[in-house]
Amino acid sequence: MKKDLPEIDLKELRKWKKRNFKERMGWVKRYAEWLKKTPNKEWSRQQKEIID
Amino acid sequence: MELSDIPGGYFLEKEENSLDRLVLDYVSVLDGTEVKYVVVSGYVAILFGRSRSSEDVDLLMEKIERKKFFRLWEALSHRFECLNTRDAAEAYDEYLLYDTALRFSYPGRFIPNMEVKFPKKTIDSWTLENRKKVVLNKKTIYVSPIEVQIPFKLFLGSEKDIEDASHLYEVFKQRIDIALTEDFARRLGVEKEMRRLMQ
Repeated sequence: MKKDLPEIDLKELRKWKKRNFKERMGWVKRYAEWLKKTPNKEWSRQQKEIID
Repeated sequence: MELSDIPGGYFLEKEENSLDRLVLDYVSVLDGTEVKYVVVSGYVAILFGRSRSSEDVDLLMEKIERKKFFRLWEALSHRFECLNTRDAAEAYDEYLLYDTALRFSYPGRFIPNMEVKFPKKTIDSWTLENRKKVVLNKKTIYVSPIEVQIPFKLFLGSEKDIEDASHLYEVFKQRIDIALTEDFARRLGVEKEMRRLMQ
C-alpha cells in the first residue's frame, strides 16, 4: 500500500459531508415518492429481499 | 469467520446475499469495460459480516472520458437501469461531472441500487489507488482499504457509521496497519473517536 498519504482539506470535506447528506435526503424523498405509487406487493417484495 | 490474507487483499468464502450478488454483477460489467473502481462505505462492513442490510452500495469509479463512459453505459444497459436518467450524456454531464451520484438497479427495481461517483476528494483518489482485492467465492471485488474505511466512518459519525467502524475494527484489528489507521484518524479529525474504538 502506498504510504504517501493524501492532503485532506477538512473544511472542504465537511462541506462535502453536508452536501452528501442533502443528496441522500433527496434520495430518501424520491424513494418515498416511488413507494407511495407502487403496489404493496411490489415494494414489499423488493424490501423483503434486502431485509431478509 | 474464516478470512485469509492473500497478496493485496483477502480471500473469503460465504453464502452470498442479494447485495453481494448486485455488487458482483455490477463490477463484472466494470471489469468487462476495463473501468477501475472501488467499493466503499457500508457494504464493506456488510461484506465482512456486519449484521445489517442496505438499500445502496457506494462505488467510486475512475474518472473516464465521455466516449468510454458511453461504452460503459451501453454495457450496463443490458443488465441495469439508471434511476436518475435514461440519457447517457445527461448522466455524464449533469451527474458524474457534478459530483452527483448515479444510481443503478436491476430493471424494474428501485432497491437495492449501486450509487456511483467519480473520485472528487483527495481521499477518494487515494482509496481508489490503494484499493484491496477481495476474492469472494472465487470472484473479485475491490474494496476500500480498511485503514481508511474505519476513520472515514468515524468522520461520517452517524450511529450506523460508528457501528460499521467498530465492526471493521474488531474483525480486522490483527490484520491492519494500526499506525496508518491512526494517521487517517488524525487527518480526519477523529483521533478521540478512534481511541475510544480501540479501547
